Amino acid sequence: MKERRLTVDIHRRLPSFTLDLSLEVKEEVLVLFGPSGSGKTMTLESIAGLVTPDQGEIILDDEVLFRRRTGGEHVNMPARRRGVGYVFQSYALFPHLTVLDNVRYPLGRDSSGRERAVNLVGQMGLAQLAGRLPHQLSGGQQQRVAIARALARDPEVLLLDEPFSALDPGLRERLRTDLRALQLERRLIVICVTHSVEDAFALGDRLAVLRDGELQQVGAVGDVFRRPSSMQAAEVLAIRNIFHAHVASATADHVTLEWDGLELHAPAQPSTPGDTVPIYIAPEDVKILYPDRPALGGLAVNQLDATVLSVENRRDMRIIRLSLENGHELEARGASYFYQELDLSQGASIRISLRSEGLRILHEEESS
Amino acid sequence: MGWQAFLISIQVTVVATVMVVIVGTAAGLLLARVRFPGIHVFEAVLMLPLVLPPSVVGYYLLRFFGAGGPIEGLFGVNIVFTWVAAVFASAIVALPLMVQAARTAIRGVDPVLENAARTLGDSEPAVFFRVTLPLARRGLIAGTVLSAARALGEFGATLMVAGNIPGSTQTLPLFVYDAVQNQDYGVANLVVALLTGMGLVSFIIIGRLDPARNK
Repeated sequence: MKERRLTVDIHRRLPSFTLDLSLEVKEEVLVLFGPSGSGKTMTLESIAGLVTPDQGEIILDDEVLFRRRTGGEHVNMPARRRGVGYVFQSYALFPHLTVLDNVRYPLGRDSSGRERAVNLVGQMGLAQLAGRLPHQLSGGQQQRVAIARALARDPEVLLLDEPFSALDPGLRERLRTDLRALQLERRLIVICVTHSVEDAFALGDRLAVLRDGELQQVGAVGDVFRRPSSMQAAEVLAIRNIFHAHVASATADHVTLEWDGLELHAPAQPSTPGDTVPIYIAPEDVKILYPDRPALGGLAVNQLDATVLSVENRRDMRIIRLSLENGHELEARGASYFYQELDLSQGASIRISLRSEGLRILHEEESS
Repeated sequence: MGWQAFLISIQVTVVATVMVVIVGTAAGLLLARVRFPGIHVFEAVLMLPLVLPPSVVGYYLLRFFGAGGPIEGLFGVNIVFTWVAAVFASAIVALPLMVQAARTAIRGVDPVLENAARTLGDSEPAVFFRVTLPLARRGLIAGTVLSAARALGEFGATLMVAGNIPGSTQTLPLFVYDAVQNQDYGVANLVVALLTGMGLVSFIIIGRLDPARNK
């Protein structure tokens, strides 16, 4: 079977912003990553036919969905004929229709349409909820309905806009796995918009970094995070806490890393002892310890001494930059109300814990 | 006598309301979803009957439908002093209420839902009938009831363009006027009570349609 391929080359100028990007996506999950206002959603809308670029070309396999070039013939296939599945950020379920009727919406009114919808609802594990209305569902259930509906007409392309932003962490993980399985099973071209590093790692084959309407970098997820091509890309990815460490030992439930004189414990993940690997320490998982309180559970491991370099207050969080005893600089992030009673002035000596869940080995992936 | 006025009122109100709902919903959709130059002027013209004196509305209608007007010129018919003229008079004064209600109701429908329908294969009319209309339903019904109540109560413009011909163009409001002129207070009280009751019922229905009160 011939591999599916989506080629996007679009240009759209708005008063405050210009979108200008070209991408080629195959049967894979491409994560479109960038801050809000970088043009991620507009890119999806252009592919789906909900907004019209000023210039460019969108081609799915051999079919031209959109083409506008100076001198050439214009093509602008309406959204309804593009056969592109779209999962909207807020899911956009029809509030007046039941789960089954939402999924059935794009299908014919005949019995085969109904049968297909019933099957899909079952496959997505929604059978008991078929008669419910969207407002009676949890966020995760709504998302499943939205995906089932988007897949009802068997599209080649599935676009997802921040699909996990409204979900609990545990649920996110499960749904990411499910989405991955769907992509493989249905040979989908998936473009997923997110600004979550976690989602990008868990979901993406490749990552496209977008900023101010321009692509900064496209590549395998691990590669992009490990080797940002530019400062802009690094800024968008907000990656600072990336280091190299040795894998000292790896067991079924535990990986021990040796990081320039410090021993770190990480959850089990594929790795080979003796390798030098890039590791990512999630800034959210760098916790500052109160000297007068016992450090329990996840905080009992990976305890280190550190010196405060600077504290930056953002609207809803604080970014604390630290210097470690092995000479590296580490960034910690926490809600702005954390650590109110601690002395975090510049140069203060503190003790920190790196929660092991936040230690991730970045894998080498082949660039495509 | 009173029965005839009642039947004419119902007939005029029903036909006028059907016209108002179709035209008003279309105009409301346009105002809510499409941006075009002159949109404010368009809206202002639609709203004018709300503030113009009934005599002025009636005068416009007379010039438009009457002898030497564009309708007579184009179609060769003169509807002045027929019940059809009463329909147009009622419709024109009720239209602004329907446009307002429809615009508000349609604005309340998240455009993302309409986009979702487009990606799911709907043509523009299908988007309207399968998504926009059902979701704007409450507001549109409220607008319909309000428009019907206003059409039923129309007096001034109707008098000018349709006259006050018993059994032909005399609606209930005109009938009350005649009854009072003739000091026939018994009948007047009855019809006044009827019209007041219908107005009250209309607003009770509209109140019940307000989703904020149902939750």
